[in-house]
Amino acid sequence: MSKSNEEHRLREVKCPTGFNWSNLKAELKAVWEANIKDWKIEFAYPVSFIRQLISPLVFLLPFLIYGLVLVGGRYSPNLEQLVGTDDVVAFIFTGYIMMGFIGTAVWAMGFSIRRERWFGTLEAIYVTPSSRLGQVLGMALHSTVHQILGTIIQFIVIYLTFGLALKIEGILPALGIFALMMLALYGFGIVISALGLILKEGWVVSDSLYSIMMILSPVAYPLAVLPTVAQQASYIFPTAPALIGMRSFLIEHYQPEVAGNVFLHLLALGAAWILFGIFVFRLTDVYVRKRGMLKKF
Amino acid sequence: MMKSTYQQSVLRSNLFVVWNEVVKNIKSLLAYPAILVFWAIFPIFWFIPFILQGQAFVGGPESASFAQITGSGEYVPFIVIGAVLNSYVNTLLYGMGENIRKESYQGTLDYVLAAPCNKAYVLIGKALSESLSSTIFAASQLTISVLLFGMNITLGVMLPVFFIVILLMLGLYGMSLILAALSLMYKQSYDLSQTIGYVFYIFAPVRYPVESLPTWAQIFGKLIPLTYALIIVRSFMLLGTNFSTVYFEVLALLIIDIVLLLAGFYLFSWMEEKTKKSGTISHH
Repeated sequence: MSKSNEEHRLREVKCPTGFNWSNLKAELKAVWEANIKDWKIEFAYPVSFIRQLISPLVFLLPFLIYGLVLVGGRYSPNLEQLVGTDDVVAFIFTGYIMMGFIGTAVWAMGFSIRRERWFGTLEAIYVTPSSRLGQVLGMALHSTVHQILGTIIQFIVIYLTFGLALKIEGILPALGIFALMMLALYGFGIVISALGLILKEGWVVSDSLYSIMMILSPVAYPLAVLPTVAQQASYIFPTAPALIGMRSFLIEHYQPEVAGNVFLHLLALGAAWILFGIFVFRLTDVYVRKRGMLKKF
Repeated sequence: MMKSTYQQSVLRSNLFVVWNEVVKNIKSLLAYPAILVFWAIFPIFWFIPFILQGQAFVGGPESASFAQITGSGEYVPFIVIGAVLNSYVNTLLYGMGENIRKESYQGTLDYVLAAPCNKAYVLIGKALSESLSSTIFAASQLTISVLLFGMNITLGVMLPVFFIVILLMLGLYGMSLILAALSLMYKQSYDLSQTIGYVFYIFAPVRYPVESLPTWAQIFGKLIPLTYALIIVRSFMLLGTNFSTVYFEVLALLIIDIVLLLAGFYLFSWMEEKTKKSGTISHH
């Protein structure tokens, strides 16, 4: 009898706990599996996959065509007065490639929890011995790779149609800025996913925040055209400093609208948003479980 | 006499179905006030970047290049009209297909389809409630835009504009009926309606005049009811023209409406029969 108990104990799954390498490895595996699960779901709906792949291009084209019609050509003297470059196409393209990644943070991460609730799998995920944030990060990983694929398509089409004059040597620092921006956006996405836990119609909040962030980010216009209050508010979000920083590395003659170290600014924003995100997520997680709200929608 | 009483009773029953469908959808909408406020206000945030882009690129409220193509250099009212009419696409096109899908999610689609009434009246009820909410949202967006951007609108043109909006809605009803039919059979009509939304966004003159597109894209754009609605409404509101100037566009919009409505009703009845036979109504 005792032997059988011993045998039974040998089959027990030992979950690593605490802040150590084996636990981190296990959590990373959970993140990877969440990412793989999302890819599998995505490939199950090929029409949806293709649609989402071309959507960055679809949303960029109206900004480009509208800009070209307004100016009556590719070069705007007024834009040159504001930021030193008159190339409408390069300005809009470098701005808009970032917008898709805001969508990654707001929609994909924000809705990772909500989607599990719709599928009826949230409770099952909640009782697994892994961090709940792992689910959100797995979804973020999938969505970031997806968005990168869409951006590559966007780049190829715009390059072939309009031609793009970007500084090759600026690509590496621009990628560094991009990585820092993504870090801060992940923090923002974690906050949104926490809201998805408590709000029945979380998409209203997500879409509202996305719209506000879109206006406060200098995607298709320089910050100078915004009112002063809006210009100051834009520095709370990582997109404004990231866009200004990336353009100064990628576009010839571009004069940054603000002085200061973009890298430090983004590092500070990244740390602040990640910490705030984790704090809000933990708080919401405890609240939702105490109130038994997991299954409500 | 007996027949007439019977006919009256059938008509009353059908109107009762339409009325109750409208009431049900409005109640469902009012249950989520956040969504109500969102659709009344937030679509404005989606076109504000285009107005700011205009300011940055031309440095004022008018563009000479824009005037050459559209007849009016003022890009702000051009964008506002485009966005407000496009909001009908957002609510009607996605709304109807999603409405059917929602019944399926809520587990009520079987009951709706098994009810002893003509399903066309259920759809008319859904369409009317979507139109009502769309018009309230569009009016709210237009009012806020007028106050925010100082647009001048002559009240006299609102009646013909409203007539064109009705024609646009009829065309969109036809399209959403087709989508609702596909939703019955293939369940994932969301992607299809989103793809149609993309086509509208690129090929219809929502943000820019249709003439700025390549010829092949212009031909494609001329098959979309929204294209004609936008051309007519902008002619009325920005250029001060009347029906005699845009009679061709009105006629084209009418023809597209008829084709889409007939195709929509035929396809929906066909799909309804097919799903009933295959027993897949409640699948999702």
